[in-house]
Amino acid sequence: MDSSFLNMEFLIDTFFVALSGVPVALLVTVVAMAIALPVGFFLALTRINEIPVLNWFTKIYVSFVRGTPIIIQIFVLYSVIPLILSGIFEKYHIDYPVYDINPLWYAFIIFSFNTAAILVEVFRSALKTVSQGQLEAAYSVGLTSSQAYRRIIIPQMLVTALPNLCTATINLIKATSLGYAISLQEITLKAKVAANVGYNYLEAYIDIFIVYMILCMTVEYLFKLFEKRLSRYKYTTA
Amino acid sequence: MLEIKNIHKSFGKNEILKGVDLKIDKGDVVVILGPSGSGKTTLLRCINFLERADQGSASFGEVTVDLKTASKKEVLAIRKKTAFVFQNYSLFNNKTALENVAEGLIIGRKVLKHDAYEISKKALDKVGLSEKYDSYPIQLSGGQQQRVGIARAVALNPDIILFDEPTSALDPELVGEVLQVMKEIAKEGTTMLVVTHEMGFAKDVANKVIFMDGGNIVEEGTPHEIFITPKEDRTRRFLRRVLPGEYDFEI
Ligand SMILES: Nc1ncnc2c1ncn2[C@@H]1O[C@H](COP(=O)(O)OP(=O)(O)OP(=O)(O)O)[C@@H](O)[C@H]1O
Ligand SMILES: [Mg+2]
Repeated sequence: MDSSFLNMEFLIDTFFVALSGVPVALLVTVVAMAIALPVGFFLALTRINEIPVLNWFTKIYVSFVRGTPIIIQIFVLYSVIPLILSGIFEKYHIDYPVYDINPLWYAFIIFSFNTAAILVEVFRSALKTVSQGQLEAAYSVGLTSSQAYRRIIIPQMLVTALPNLCTATINLIKATSLGYAISLQEITLKAKVAANVGYNYLEAYIDIFIVYMILCMTVEYLFKLFEKRLSRYKYTTA
Repeated sequence: MLEIKNIHKSFGKNEILKGVDLKIDKGDVVVILGPSGSGKTTLLRCINFLERADQGSASFGEVTVDLKTASKKEVLAIRKKTAFVFQNYSLFNNKTALENVAEGLIIGRKVLKHDAYEISKKALDKVGLSEKYDSYPIQLSGGQQQRVGIARAVALNPDIILFDEPTSALDPELVGEVLQVMKEIAKEGTTMLVVTHEMGFAKDVANKVIFMDGGNIVEEGTPHEIFITPKEDRTRRFLRRVLPGEYDFEI
């Protein structure tokens, strides 16, 4: 019997097991972000422009998401979505077993739902830093609203939003570890399952720890590069 | 060339414009004077649809639009006939001086990029910024930024340029350079509607001066008529306040 504190062989093997969960974690992150970015931006606009009903709806949605733990949101959506779906399926006579749906789909919905709310606030505060005057100047030279937003407002808004977007992305990556609650085959679940066999939990946790750290540091680095490129106009010297 | 009829505008219960009429001919330099809060900015903003009037119409040559109900298309069409110079410059901070000037040409008016940059360089040369094509707004002084703002308007070759207190956000020593540029473009025959507190500019450059108070035009005429022989009490009181020592009218 090996008497060393850590089982090195298991540690190394399991590292690759944990690594094999990275594609799922990244896929969920990318899909959730791809949905949450436009939705969050649109809802932020309804807040800034005080669009009657939507503004009010957004406010409640954001407070709900910010005021409850993600794990609870996961449990709620994971129980509510099948109920809604089975109702719809029944109505339209679709013969599909609701409870066989791949947890990946649930993960997409749950994490988009959560991240969009976070991004509403990120975009709202970032939009406020770009002066209304620039929007009016864009109108005055003949740009339409969408042209003004695309060419003048959003590029500047993004620069301010980028650090917070980075934080949101990293939080999202880490939050995907809660996917184990819905049997999502991601990093944490895979490593823990491997550890179950010989009770090598400490090794598994170390592996999980390292994988997330590499992931998050890479993402942070990429954001820094992007930020530098976007904010050229802010730091150039005369 | 530009005729505004009966503009009304309220913010909530506050009626800011109470039926303003305005007629400007090609090549006119019209200066609007008036105390703070008299509705000067609001008037310019309504003409350019940055604010929706409650009533009124604007005619540019043959084209007449209702200032209250104009469609998006009409708004865009009017904006293409006008340009606006803002009190606090409102340059696009993510774009260089040259890109600031070219933006409205390339995107708003669909001018080819190459041509747009040629036109924009000429406009920047005219305002004395040949050295600053590639500078971003934060690298420029207030006076330089406002000159880019003027170049941005001039490059569009609009029927009329609207100026809203173009020098009042500037340090005193930078006011001169901006007024000088405005004088030059006026001399070239640009039609201008200028809200300003620079009485010197009004006297020397304008061919028509309008005095506004409380949402109405109180008096209008040549600089001579307004500054030397004003008819209205309110005009005299205003001038005595802004030009102390120069005026001793009997009231
Ligand atoms: N968006 C707005 N909402 C509410 N009130 C407004 C708004 N814009 C302007 N006002 C009010 O309308 C009145 C006229 O404003 P305006 O800016 O047209 O005056 P002005 O003649 O340009 O004054 P100044 O010389 O100080 O620039 C002011 O009392 C102002 O408070
Ligand atoms: Mg004003």
